[in-house]
Amino acid sequence: MINKLKIATATMLFTATAAFPASADDSKIVVGFATAESGFMEAYDKPATDAALIRIDEINAAGGLLGKKIEVVKADTKSDRAEGAKAGLSVLDQGADLVVVSCDYDFGSPAALAAEAAGKVSFFLCAESVKAGIQGVGPHSFSASVLAAVQGATMAEWAYNKKETKTFYRLLDTWTEYNKGICDGFDWMMPKLETKGAKLVGQDTFKNDDPSIAAQISRIKALPKEPDAIMLCTMMPGSVSAVKQIRAAGINSMILNGSGVDGSYWLSAVPDLSNFYVPVQGSIYGDDPNPEVNKFNAAYKAKTGADPSSMYVYPGYVMIDVWAKAVERAKSIDADAVVAELEKMKNEPTLFGPRTFTSELHHQNQTKYLIADTEKGKPSIIDSWTISEPIPLDALLK
Amino acid sequence: MSAASPAIEPNLTTGTIVAKPPRPFVLARRTIITPILLALLMIAIALLTMMTGSRPFNQVIIDVFLRVILVVGLYVFIGNSGVLSFGHIGFTCLGAYVAAWLTINPIMKKMAFSGLPGWLIKTQMPYWEAAIIAAIFAGLAALIFGRILMRLSGIAASIATFAMLAMINTIYSNWETVTGGTSSVVGIPIVRSIWPYLIAAIISIFIAWAHAISRSGLALRAARDEPTAAAASGVDIPRERLVAFVISGAIMGLGGALMAHSIGVVTPDTFYLGLTFITIAMLVVGGMGSLSGGVIGVVFLSALIQTLRWLEAGVSIGDVAFAIPKGLQEIALGIIMIIILALRPAGVFGNREISLTRNRGD
Repeated sequence: MINKLKIATATMLFTATAAFPASADDSKIVVGFATAESGFMEAYDKPATDAALIRIDEINAAGGLLGKKIEVVKADTKSDRAEGAKAGLSVLDQGADLVVVSCDYDFGSPAALAAEAAGKVSFFLCAESVKAGIQGVGPHSFSASVLAAVQGATMAEWAYNKKETKTFYRLLDTWTEYNKGICDGFDWMMPKLETKGAKLVGQDTFKNDDPSIAAQISRIKALPKEPDAIMLCTMMPGSVSAVKQIRAAGINSMILNGSGVDGSYWLSAVPDLSNFYVPVQGSIYGDDPNPEVNKFNAAYKAKTGADPSSMYVYPGYVMIDVWAKAVERAKSIDADAVVAELEKMKNEPTLFGPRTFTSELHHQNQTKYLIADTEKGKPSIIDSWTISEPIPLDALLK
Repeated sequence: MSAASPAIEPNLTTGTIVAKPPRPFVLARRTIITPILLALLMIAIALLTMMTGSRPFNQVIIDVFLRVILVVGLYVFIGNSGVLSFGHIGFTCLGAYVAAWLTINPIMKKMAFSGLPGWLIKTQMPYWEAAIIAAIFAGLAALIFGRILMRLSGIAASIATFAMLAMINTIYSNWETVTGGTSSVVGIPIVRSIWPYLIAAIISIFIAWAHAISRSGLALRAARDEPTAAAASGVDIPRERLVAFVISGAIMGLGGALMAHSIGVVTPDTFYLGLTFITIAMLVVGGMGSLSGGVIGVVFLSALIQTLRWLEAGVSIGDVAFAIPKGLQEIALGIIMIIILALRPAGVFGNREISLTRNRGD
């Protein structure tokens, strides 16, 4: 027994002394990735991390930042919140000046809170909840993506203006904050459209893992006239089944979505899907109006061996881009100075749409989206849209 | 009847006391060395951690202390009553949310928990006061649930505790105005100092020890080993179980509150099956009937997990970098646990406690 104690103690001692040698070094700038390298979040974190590394390579190849090389350190969150806090502290101990955390607010916040407590800038790779920033972490925290609410509002306004959609139906999957966020944006936009003659003809909810949404579908079928568009606030994997059931029931209305269903990997499950619209920050289909995006896609393929699987690759690139610009302008990596420069950004152009940060919101409440249309099972970019006014904070925080 | 409970050899039977009229505190004096040794082990780990000065390692050890609290809480009920409970993490959940309700700043609280009563929204207290209240709250909840559940025994009791866990989880995942639903609760002050966790772990160890040698604890252990004989000797089994259930519920609540402060984020799904199984596994590997087993089981498995993680991240020996594939940690951990249980079905410690004299329990 004493032996076991000794072994246990020795193991702890060994682990303690061998792990994490760290010290700050003035000759380099350190970016720490406290993201998931294993577990289910890896599917979201890895592509965006790869995109971020591409931007870091570009900056280093062009001579670095403030004349210093950017060095990358990583710690695995294992898609676990408690491990996330450790990963955050681990990259901080390795001297991180910027702490990059998981895509999702729930899984990224423990590491972001650790960075906030240490007075460092943190960036969520692609979280789309308003909490991923000042509201849920603190004044040094940002998100690289766009609020889910903007996606819902963009689709509603675009459909009304460009597709002459008059009647809308709202179908919400109550599973996640992200889904609710899309519909919150739709709800904020709808009264504005109603003053111009649009109409919300009905609404319903379901849950992502419902095996059947037959009840919801029969209520849509019971309407006197098929709605022009269904705002579908949902995400993978339940979205595939929902779309399939809607089309199988013979409902051919436009289906409007959030960015969460972008990608062609699932389209074979719903053969010949048409009239299906998704807002995206950039096109993974090789037809982005900006040739630079197509160049990035090629660079991504060269680095990882595969094309981007969805637009959630892109925020990682944007993140390093805007942060590096802020560091250049602040001429310092001091967190407060960098935050001040980030907050000065107003419609700062990036490869994937303009970015604005203010002292109230470290997230995008109005930005340009490309509209991807799937016809006969083939997605392509058909348009772009920017909502007419930014979504106010109180609509986001409700 | 004796054939039905073969491997269990109680070290603290009622027999040893009844045999000769006991002097006051004789049992306490004879057994106190166990919690003292365990506390010294905890202190040694804490001092060692302080010397490394590594923040992530500090966090790892905070996690170890939290697990110690939870596993000690489990031991108080499971170890002494012999009834496997899958529901105790529910009390951890209750404790964590009480900590959230009491420590988040009122402005944020108003936004996140609009359904809380006004006086509770206005309250904001230091984390340690909140942790004590969380423990009391979880203990009260255990009292209410336990009044009903403790009448059951065997597998029925285990399943009923599991049903309780599912119930607590469902309520906390859906009562949006009071718990924030499935969204993360944020704004809980983060405590990164290792000492509060150390103190709480040591307090839990001493409570568990005091309960085990108390009249109620001894009666419960007697009922665990020989229910018929214990009942015939006048032991009110549901009552003694209830006492243990409430004490263990309170310890779990304390652990939950501190867990909330260790990462600053609380969600209902943190306190569900994953945490239930890892804590039960630690108790079983260490030795279900032994306080030392529970505590050292945590330390041992945590050290193992940490070493495997560190191997996953990669080490270099000389010029050769070496790393095990990612995800192997979980597999290796499972294999090692199977080996331990194959060799020692009653866990590493079985029913014995550590002490300075060898195998006192036998």
